[in-house]
Formats: sequence, C-alpha cells, structure tokens
Amino acid sequence: MRLGLLAAMSIIVVRLFFIQIIQHDKWAEKAAAQQTLQNVLPAKRGEIYMMDGNEPVAVVMNATVYTVIVDPMLANRESVEEKLGSLIKDKQIAKWDDVFANRTRRYYIVAKNVERKAAEQIADLDLTGVWLQSNTKRVYPEGELASNLLGFVNAEGIGQYGIEGALNDELTGEDGLLKTIKDINNVALSIGDDNVKIAAKDGENVVLTIDRTMQHNIEKILEKKSQEIGFKNLEAIVMDPNNGEVLAMANYPGYDPANFGNVESAAAYINHVVEDPFEPASVCKTFAFAAATDLGVMTPDKTFTNFGEITIDGWPIRNAEQGANLLGTQTMQTAFNYSLNTGSTQALRWMGGSETEITQTAREKLYEYYFNRFGLGHYTGIELYESPGYLVEPNADMYGLASTYANMTFGQNMQATMVQVAAAISSVVNGGKYYIPTIVAGKMVNGEFIANEEREPVRQTISAQTSASMREMLYNTRKMWRSNGTDPVGYYVGGKTGTAQVIKDGAYSMDETQATYVGVGGKEGELPSYVIMVRVWEEGKLAGGQEHALPVFNDLKNYVQNYLRIQPKTAE
Amino acid sequence: MRRHKSDRTIAALTFVLLCIGLIVIYAIGPMRANVMNSVYGSNVGENDFFIQQLRNVILSLVVIVLAFKIPYQYMRKYAKFVMFGGLILCGILFGLSLINSPLAKCELGACRWFNLGGFSLQPAEILKLGLVLYLAQLIAERKAEGKLGSSDFWIPFAIVSILSLGFVVVAQKDLGTGIAIAAIILSMLFMSGVKMRYFIGVLAICLAGGVASIVVSPHRMERLMTFHSEDSSDAYHIENAMIAIGTGGFWGVGMGNSVQATGYLPESINDSVFAIMGETFGFVGLVVVIGCFTALLMRLLRTANYLENDEESLVVIGVFAWATAHVVVNVASMTGLLPLTGITLPLLSYGGTSMLFTAAALGIALQLSCYTSREPRQEKVVSTSQPKVRTMRRRLE
Repeated sequence: MRLGLLAAMSIIVVRLFFIQIIQHDKWAEKAAAQQTLQNVLPAKRGEIYMMDGNEPVAVVMNATVYTVIVDPMLANRESVEEKLGSLIKDKQIAKWDDVFANRTRRYYIVAKNVERKAAEQIADLDLTGVWLQSNTKRVYPEGELASNLLGFVNAEGIGQYGIEGALNDELTGEDGLLKTIKDINNVALSIGDDNVKIAAKDGENVVLTIDRTMQHNIEKILEKKSQEIGFKNLEAIVMDPNNGEVLAMANYPGYDPANFGNVESAAAYINHVVEDPFEPASVCKTFAFAAATDLGVMTPDKTFTNFGEITIDGWPIRNAEQGANLLGTQTMQTAFNYSLNTGSTQALRWMGGSETEITQTAREKLYEYYFNRFGLGHYTGIELYESPGYLVEPNADMYGLASTYANMTFGQNMQATMVQVAAAISSVVNGGKYYIPTIVAGKMVNGEFIANEEREPVRQTISAQTSASMREMLYNTRKMWRSNGTDPVGYYVGGKTGTAQVIKDGAYSMDETQATYVGVGGKEGELPSYVIMVRVWEEGKLAGGQEHALPVFNDLKNYVQNYLRIQPKTAE
Repeated sequence: MRRHKSDRTIAALTFVLLCIGLIVIYAIGPMRANVMNSVYGSNVGENDFFIQQLRNVILSLVVIVLAFKIPYQYMRKYAKFVMFGGLILCGILFGLSLINSPLAKCELGACRWFNLGGFSLQPAEILKLGLVLYLAQLIAERKAEGKLGSSDFWIPFAIVSILSLGFVVVAQKDLGTGIAIAAIILSMLFMSGVKMRYFIGVLAICLAGGVASIVVSPHRMERLMTFHSEDSSDAYHIENAMIAIGTGGFWGVGMGNSVQATGYLPESINDSVFAIMGETFGFVGLVVVIGCFTALLMRLLRTANYLENDEESLVVIGVFAWATAHVVVNVASMTGLLPLTGITLPLLSYGGTSMLFTAAALGIALQLSCYTSREPRQEKVVSTSQPKVRTMRRRLE
C-alpha cells in the first residue's frame, strides 16, 4: 500500500511537472486567449470645415445611425412588421417575406442608417428578436457642395478621394486600445502586468481655406454656364495670389457624397483641378514671356518678324490668327494679344541669345523658369492628391528638343495641372513671390479655430519689375479681347486664354480641345487680390478659350469681385 | 498498550493543510463572491467565504480535539449506530428526493445533501466514518473468533457494502464518493488478512459494479466518452483546471492573482481548489501540498503498521484509504489523468461537512497513534502462522 501511495503521488508530481513546467507556455497561451479582453476604442473621425467669412462652419460631420437587425427565429412577425415597419420606413432594405422566409437564420439586417430618434422609438418598443447596432456615418449638410474636393468615406471607414482621402490619416486619428485581463463576465480585472489602456486619439477637425459661400456660388455659376455654353465639364479654381490660399475649387458636375456609389464610374470622383494634368496651351505664354522679360531679353514693345508659320525640326509652328495685318514686324504685346506661337518661340530664341536658333541655353533657361521657378510639371505640395504633370528636360536624349521647347512656350508638349498654373500665375502677378498653394487654413480644437501660421513665399520666380510688366501685358490682352462689355472702371483685370489640344491614344485628337482662361484682378493700382482659372471641356467636342472659357471667367470674376467687396479705385 | 504521546507529524500536517486551505480561500473568496453576485444576483460579501471557512477550520480543530480526547474504547460502542445511522439518513434522503422535498438539496439531478436551513449535511460523509468504524470492528471481532472466512463475516460485510455503495452511487449519483467508499471497503478487506482469492473476488465484483454503474448511466457514459474531448462541460472543467495549473508555472502567479478563479474554472473554491493553488503557488506550491499529503498519509500507514490491536489498525487503514481516495481522485481529475468525478480535496476544499468528517477521522487516527508499539505489527504477530505474517507485511508494503 505504501508503494502504491508513493507510486500514485510520483505519477501526480511528474504530471504536474509536465503541465506546469514543460507545457507551461501552451496553457498560458490558452489562458491568455480566454482571459484577455481586447477592445478597440474607436477614434472619432475629424470633421471638415469651410470658412464662412472668418468663422469656420462644418460641411462634413459625423452622425450616429443605427442598423436594425431581426432574429426571425425569436421575432413575432405580426408585431415586428406592424410596429417596426412604420418606424424604419424608407430605411428598410429587406422585404418581410424574405426576412421570415428562413426562420433558422438568426440574423437579418432589415434597415440601415436609421436616425437616432427612430432608433430610440424602436428600442422603446422592446420587441423580442429585434436589436440595434450603432455606427457612425458621414453626413453632408451642404449636399453635393465641393464633392470632388471633399471626397467621401467608404464602407470600411477609409477616406477616398479629395480631402477625405488625402488627409485620411489626420482625419482618422488613432484608435485606442483596451487590453486587459477580464473575468468570465467580461469585466476588466486589475490582475496582471500586461494591461494596456491607450486612449483613442480623435481625428483632427480640418478647416479648409475654402469659402463656403463662394464655393457654393461658383458651383452654381459653373452649372449655369454649362447650360449656356453647352459643355458638360467645367472646372474652376479661385486663389488668393498673395498667400496661396485656395478660396474655391469647383468641379462640375459633382456627385452626392452621401450616395457615392451612384456614379457611372470612378472618374466622377476625380478632382480635375489637381489630379488631371493637361496641356495648358496658350496661358503658358504668360510664363514664357515672363521668363524672357525677367532675363532682360524682351519688353512688351520689342518687335519681331511674324511669318505666320515657321518650321522647327521639321515640324510646323503655326499661329491660330493668320490675319495679314499680323504678319511682318510686330510687338511682343501684339504677339501676346493674338497668342502668336511664332512670337513666344521668338522669345525662347532670345533667351538663348539667338535670333534664329533655339539653343541649349534657351532650353535650359525656359526649363529653369517653368519647372524650378513656376513649378509646372511637378507636385505643388497642396494638401490633396496631385498628379505631377510632365516637362521634357532641356537635355533629354530625344529628337526634336528644339521643337518641343518651342511648343512649350505656348503650353504644348507638356502637362500641368490647373492648380500648378494658378499658383504660377499668382507669382507672376504678385511681384514674383511663389506661395505653395494651400487648402488647409487650420484646425478646430474643442470648438476653437486654430489657424495655421501665416504663409511665407518659398521662392522668387521673377523680379517685381517683370511682375509689373506682366500685369500690364495681361491687362492689355484682356482689354483687347474682353467680350462681355468693359470691366468696370477702377478695377484691374488681366487674363489670358488658352485652347489646349488633347492627346488621345498617344496622338493629338482632332475632334477635342479644352478651353482655358486664367485671369487676375483686384483694385486698380494695387496688387491683384484674386486669381481665377477656368477649364471647359467635353469629350469629343471642340472648346475654345475665347468662345467658351472667357465667358465663364467673366461671370466668375464679376461674382468674386463683388463677393470679396473689392472697392474700385476712386478718381482723385 | 500504554498510552503515549500522539504522532505529532499527523497533527502538524493536518494543521498546516488546514492553514493552506484557509489562505487559498482568503485569496479567491472575493472572486467567488463576485462571480456568484453577478451570476445569481446574490449579495455575498467579499470575505464571507473566508469567514465561513475560518469557522469551518476552527470547528474542525474542535472536532479533532474531541475525536482525540474521547476514548476510542468509548467511541467504538457507537460504531454500529454511526454506520446504520448513516445508512438510514441516506435512505431518508433518497425518499425525500423522490417526493421532491425541499429538505433534499439536489444539484443537477443528484440529491446528496440534506437542506437544514443555514447549512447542508451530506450523509455520505457519515457513511464513510461509519464504515471505517464498523468494518474495523466487524473484521477484528470475526478475526478474533476465527470466523473471518465464514458467512458470519461475509453477510454483514456484503450488506453494509452494497447498501453504502448503492445509496451513494445509484441513489445519489455520486461516483466520486462511491470510489472513496469502495477504497475504504477494499483497503480494510485487503488488510483484514482474508484470503487473497476472496479479496480478488470482491475487487472483481466492485469493478464489475463500477463498470455497470457507468454503462447504465447515460450521464456517466457521456462523461467517460467525452473525457478529454473538446465539447462538454466536463472537458471544459478539466481544460480550465489544467489552464490554471499550467499557467502557474514554477512559482505561480502569486496570491490574489488567480484569473481562473474569476469564473472560468467551475467549483474553483471547493472541488477545483487544487487547480487554483497550482495557478497561485505554481509547481513549487503543489509539490509542497502533495508532499504534505503524502507525508500525512505515510504517517497514517505507519501508525496502522505499528498498532498492535487489529481493530485500531484497521480504523487507521480506513482513514488512510478515505483520505487517499479523495486526494488521488481529486488531483488526478484536476490534472487530466482521470475523468471528472466531483470529489473534495480533504482539508483544503471549501465545504463544511467534508472537512468536519475528515477532521473527525483524523482525530481518531491521531488518538490511536498514542497506542502504537515500538515495533511494526507484522513482527509482533505471534498468534498466526508464519505465511500469514509475510502476507501482512507484503500487503502493508
């Protein structure tokens, strides 16, 4: 018996050694698996604000909505159908017949996005087999306002496109974590050393530089002009040239971010102002002329001989305006006014110190101004998804560099975005200071607006004198072409048209052009206080800068001038 | 034999084990209270279990002193009374359970307790004590009369054995206690000096009965079949006992840090207390506990070996078998070596009746330890023939 006892006890001790020492990790793992309570503490997604005068107002907010779930096995069909039906109304997504077709299915979502009030009433009914699940949802009090700029949040809670996409990290914040040992009823215990509690870091409430009222009205104007001129797609950007702030960024047509799925294709989400590089065409003459002026090789009065058409590298460079009165000796102002491609090509030749040749120096100088100073063909750094566009390097290993660079003086053979052009034009007219375009004014912290620091220019693109000269050239051009009556007395308004060819399948399309207009304005005698760029296009249609983009600009300009309460210079 | 000092080791180990039990209950009582309050909506105080256990321990110490002081020669007169009292109480309990009386306390269809207002009484405990005292007396008397092999012995032996096991295993559906009772009966029979083939016969009958009781009971069959499988409450219980023990590792998680006691491990305070001790005190703690039990049981065996008087020796053997069955079956099921039976760990588990009767049995053994001789009994046996002496020695070994 003693041996039996000792044997039994020995077996037990060996068994204990096995469980507690050898298998310890296995059991500890099992213990952790059942004893650990791990909860994600969800961070609140930041809201998005626009400016209303000097006050930020929320344009994208969060709301708690409820999903109604029915357990067909427990629920009583008559009472559920009768009582629940009247509360969920249009939010119902399942037919009662389907819900109760299979009673062994314990989980059926019958309604989604039910508002809090209705959800509370449903909860008060205390129906058996019916329960609610809360979710947060983005709500858009302004409807479709700035949809392409704002983007949306997908079903997984991840921001897509626009601000929601580009600033997703800031808006999302960081989920917190609660990891603790729990008892069997899921109550957290203070036992153990591995307990973690990290509070959720709510997402930032982003305040945009966009002015809500201006954005709204500019979208309205684009919609109206779309009808008038008969083009489907219109885009506009309004910037303050003196600090790079974007006041409005509009894409027409927009979409309903609350029902972002109801679009024909994902192309509807694109913010063309920043994501869609194109050949900006003749508006680029502003940059070529600014470069030549800044280099001291050109003045508005300097003359050149216009042949109407020249050939470079075997490619023709032709003017759109072929009037006989434009041939022969002409000033550069005339070349600018009539958008003579031969004129801008001449400016390029001068940059290289030649009358007839496009030298390497000329190419390098133009590239220096276009790419490095004006920021064409690369990311501007605005807080949005951007496409960089493209410039051919001055010494690229390719045939036809001279022809390519000649084309670049009138905005072809290159790709840039509207925001790049608008930011570059800002620096052309504001005295040569380049501001990185921005759309974020600051953030809301506990209901208080914390503005970002005042922005400083990042570089000088051209001299103040060149800038003054370019303002004059833009003013004169516009004055010559303004179609919609005269600009009111006491205001400065300048601008340049562009008609861009479209590359389709690697070649220039013959049946589609895009119209652009870039204009600047303000009080006469002062630095311009706004820059507006417009683009008009429709697939398979020919749009012209004069005929289609200019009238859109005129309407926008009139509105912006009024809205910003720009006072005219009074006669002394 | 002249009375001498008792076996201090038995007394000391009993005391140490009671204290360890008290410490564990102190540590996990609040968790148990918490679980009960949240599950049953009861209002159990944080220290209620500890206070209750403290009372049980003090009461047990009183019982030990009483059992130690009241002379065995006086006690033995009531052996039959305790034996048949236990059987009658079991019968009454069975009757009460049939008429669904509130006096019978049932859990999961097994009615094992009398509900006596504030506390409950398990008559099977009385039965165990009665069996130890009665069988020792019966065997010793028949042996002295030389009638150990006759029907004068076998008939009463069979009646009390069958009735006891019948009540406990069949009526009360308590296989754990049944195993303890079988261990008591078989150990005492084994040590009685009855011919080996008779013992083997009884053992075979017991085993057959045990198998039969499992086969006819769907509940037990299931327990056996699902032993170590994933999907039953027993498997869950054993799994969680082993999680507790395994988590403890070498040194344990320390006092008050048991997580398994917060509701994961069923019966954490009573039947599963060994597992919680494993979690709290680790391998070291459990080896100490097993060591204490082994030492205590060895001392009991030694006491039985050194008692000249057959009856007294058999009483101690009965106490030994009782305690051993509880320790081994409880610990083996907690460590996944045996299916779960639901049996307390003597002196450590929370629970009044079990502790008091174990204390009484140990008190008696302690008293008898005052009458041991200087030599082991097999050397001193002169009245029997040589071969028998060897048998006795071998059986004790």
